[in-house]
Amino acid sequence: MSTNMRRRSFAAIALAAAVTLGAAACSSEEPGTGTTEQITLNVDVFGNFGYEELYKQYMAEHPNVKIVERGTGSQLDAHNQQLTQRLAAGAGAGDIVALEEGVIISYLDKANLFTDLGEYGAKDLAGNFIPWKFQQGTTADGKILGLGTDVGSMAMCYRTDLFKKAGLPTDRAAVSALWPTWDDYIKTGQTFKSKVKDAGFIDAVTNTYNTILMQKAGQGAGYTYFDKSGAMTIDTNPAVKDSYDLAVKILDAGLSAKLQAWTQEWNNGFKQAQFATIACPAWMTGYITEQNGADGKGKWDIAAAPGGGGNWGGSFLAVPKQSKHAKEAAELVKFLTNPAGQTASFKSKGNLPSSPQALADPAVKAAVNEYFSNAPTGDIFAKGALDLKPVYLGAKNAPVRTAVENALRTVEQGTKKSADAWTAAVTDGKKAAQ
Amino acid sequence: MTVQSSTRPEVAPGHRRGGSTPPTEPQRSKGVLGRLDIKYSPYLYIAPFFVVFGIFGLWPLIYTLRMSLYDWDLGSTVETAKFVGFDNFAMFLGDSDFWNSVVNTIAMFLMSTIPQLILALILANALNKRLRGRTLLRMGVLIPNITSVAAVSIVFTQLYNRDFGLINWVLGLFGVDAIDWTARSWSSWVAISSMVDWRWTGYNALIFLAAMQSIPRDIYESASIDGASGWRQFWTMTVPMLRPTIIFVTIISTIGGLQLYGEPLLFTGGGNPLLGGSDRQSQTVTMFLMEQFYMKFELGRAATVAWLLFILIMIFSIINFLFTRSLRSADGKVKQKKGASR
Amino acid sequence: MTATAVRTGTTPAPAPKRRRRKGGGAAERLWQASPLTYVTLLAAVALSMFPLYYMFVIATRTNDAIGQTPPPVTPGGEIGGNVDRLLGNESAAFMTGLVNSAIVATVVTVFVVFFSSLAGFAFAKLRFKGRNGMMLAILITMMVPTQLGIVPLYQMMYEWDLHNKLPSIILPFLVSGFGVFMMRQYASQAVPDELIEAARMDGCSTFRTYWNVVLPGLRPAIAVLGLFTFMEQWNSFLWPQIALGDPTNPTVQLSLQRLSQGYYNDYSQVFAGTLLSVVPLLVIFIIFGRQIIGGIMEGAVKA
Repeated sequence: MSTNMRRRSFAAIALAAAVTLGAAACSSEEPGTGTTEQITLNVDVFGNFGYEELYKQYMAEHPNVKIVERGTGSQLDAHNQQLTQRLAAGAGAGDIVALEEGVIISYLDKANLFTDLGEYGAKDLAGNFIPWKFQQGTTADGKILGLGTDVGSMAMCYRTDLFKKAGLPTDRAAVSALWPTWDDYIKTGQTFKSKVKDAGFIDAVTNTYNTILMQKAGQGAGYTYFDKSGAMTIDTNPAVKDSYDLAVKILDAGLSAKLQAWTQEWNNGFKQAQFATIACPAWMTGYITEQNGADGKGKWDIAAAPGGGGNWGGSFLAVPKQSKHAKEAAELVKFLTNPAGQTASFKSKGNLPSSPQALADPAVKAAVNEYFSNAPTGDIFAKGALDLKPVYLGAKNAPVRTAVENALRTVEQGTKKSADAWTAAVTDGKKAAQ
Repeated sequence: MTVQSSTRPEVAPGHRRGGSTPPTEPQRSKGVLGRLDIKYSPYLYIAPFFVVFGIFGLWPLIYTLRMSLYDWDLGSTVETAKFVGFDNFAMFLGDSDFWNSVVNTIAMFLMSTIPQLILALILANALNKRLRGRTLLRMGVLIPNITSVAAVSIVFTQLYNRDFGLINWVLGLFGVDAIDWTARSWSSWVAISSMVDWRWTGYNALIFLAAMQSIPRDIYESASIDGASGWRQFWTMTVPMLRPTIIFVTIISTIGGLQLYGEPLLFTGGGNPLLGGSDRQSQTVTMFLMEQFYMKFELGRAATVAWLLFILIMIFSIINFLFTRSLRSADGKVKQKKGASR
Repeated sequence: MTATAVRTGTTPAPAPKRRRRKGGGAAERLWQASPLTYVTLLAAVALSMFPLYYMFVIATRTNDAIGQTPPPVTPGGEIGGNVDRLLGNESAAFMTGLVNSAIVATVVTVFVVFFSSLAGFAFAKLRFKGRNGMMLAILITMMVPTQLGIVPLYQMMYEWDLHNKLPSIILPFLVSGFGVFMMRQYASQAVPDELIEAARMDGCSTFRTYWNVVLPGLRPAIAVLGLFTFMEQWNSFLWPQIALGDPTNPTVQLSLQRLSQGYYNDYSQVFAGTLLSVVPLLVIFIIFGRQIIGGIMEGAVKA
């Protein structure tokens, strides 16, 4: 970030020439003057992976490698679309690209687009990752598409100010004790709503639904919309319907503030204290901190999620086939995703490691989050990540999940009855799976 | 100047616009060079368009046409993709989601274009009067057009915000409950159409105004003398006279309107903006196209939708053309009446 | 000599009887603006201005203003802080975006105006084989959705090593079907055939005719097309987003998108950026707007 300070004033003064030169410098790979070939590795990310220090270290150890990170701070959607375009065009993608959990799954049946990291020794690294995380990046025939960075293990973030207003306990242990199950959670919500009329108990139901589904699938069949043979199970897997019904129950109880995630309304909701709880993967703490700003500090805390742990999000690093430096890129991926690298990323941006060694690292385990009333985030989230039972997700998981989420949204918005919405979810889900 | 000096309004120059102007006959010119110039220079003048379009427009077009006939996945090449003929086309013609996007697009197109053109005509007529500060007024109505789609969408999305938007707040003053504008078809159509209208009405008004300025005023003079009211003159004389411009503006609006993308995309927001909301309530054809590309990785099908969109635009342009051409008959009536009155 | 002069000069006096009955001001009245006209126009201008004003309001307030009830309608005093944050936001590269957009929009505008007026002149005033067919072809090209050719176009830019560079977003837009169509429509109505004939009789080549006779006649249309082309390029989004993948080298709209779709939304910063992205166009518009609109008037007199 700080390296760009110079560039700003530079660009302002030197106008066009600077721009053109800047572009050329960024995209060209000039042959080195020394004995080793000088190469540039582009790393395409979204959000913030907190890798700056790691890059510096790596470049110091490998003088012939120059690392350029692109897309820092961008939204996942924009990042994915750009990647899709570049993969379609067969050129332009980074040497390393970040693939979010939902995204890497959809690329599993397009493994030919990526380098099999197994060819570069990634097979021996399985022990560095939580088993289900390593599994998610591996195709059915054993190709390793990506190595895990972080996981989005789940807790429940809640606003102590609103809980106080509703006469509920605010201590995190006492709050966790309020809701061992989702039914208890709903009851707590009803108590809350009877006292506080102008705020919802949850932001929106979809994220809660996804959490419930992953829990139920983990406890049940071990898969969600597709079984391991790839057959569609949206209307045969009881975990799906049970989770859907539970989500509808939350809606029927009037707990939702109906703020669809990633919309402007939702962002406002953080600032205006429009909801009391939110399904909270580790990375969400960073989002809340920035979205709610300074005046939200100390008004949030983190409790255990009802019904056990869960996972939402988390990413992988992969090397597209089109990269001209597959070997060097693979080495860098291994470096960034090794336990030390993951610990560094956690320290920098709070991204929860997907490596058991990193999770056991005191720097992670003992971490507390000041913004969230000094909640021991390292401990809370690490436990969730290690407890999670692996759930198999099919390659077309994302569109089917979207279909079900949208069905729930229509119920939430009051445009469809829950039974009709379920029928629509099944129809659309099956269609999306084609 | 013999033709123009005619007293009959129907052959006045302002009226002779459009494709009907006969090109001038090549006059006697000096030498071979002159003849070559007259014969071949037009091709030279239009060549830049065709050269640049050929490279950057036509070639990609042909390439996508080819893709639309294949089961073309992310990472496919001509060698690996499977030829499926018109299967993709057949699939979409039977796909309710595709037709939903067509309905949404047409609905938003009609909801934005019709009020827009009527308002633009009225505005143009008003601006065509003798006004104080008319340059400022003219600039005032054109201002929205300099704003980008992104800026318009950012501002309007905020204005239409469910909980904190100005529009719901104003409606609330009249006792109307807060509307969740993105949740339903009609409300998102209204919101999106209003963005399009805001941005384009002034622009079209000025295009109309430019054309109105070239209608000779003496035509009106004789009509006023015939006792036609201002309003009637507007509809029976001005509007028919503007026929070529109206055709131009409607066709441009059709092309733009049916490709609607940025506004609904940014307005929908949220986790899956390409779907146009939870029930695909504001998904346009272009968004549907992008869904095939970005969400499903089906490049062949995306190409197919692009071609279907192209066909749709052609159909609508032809309908428009036929519809606006019917103004010609109104035009004709004026002529007849004028003739009779003389 | 203008056609108008000829026209008025040869308009025969209408029947005296009618003139007496209706009075000489009958036609005059038609051009008088009634109070209703002013009300309509002022309302239109107010509606046109309001969203921009609102943009300004949010840009001058803190990030919390967006969630206030009732929504704010008066400016605050935070513009300096918001702009500082915007310019200090390196991932948006806003200044680079402004400069890039200015270059691209200027180059494209010059070429579009030149090529369009040249072709428009040819289509309107010159006779050549296949004229109507080619005009129709141009019309049809306008109906081609931009989205149609994105993937092959990107491949092409990559092949020529133009991706991430400004030529990739300039070259495909050097011609415009809309521009040709507009110029043709305008030329056929605004440039009298007689002038062309006269020039030709004087021995002018077609290009000299274009340069000396047609181009000046097209001035109002050129002003309009120029402004619209500039705006279109300034505001263009879809293709630059694809072609300029390098985030340090964006156009102004791309930096806006990075701001508004950032991981974290700072709305007052977004609105400050939106405002600043509009300001250059506003300035151009205020400087040249009079001429453009005046040009429309002038053109009318000429025609």
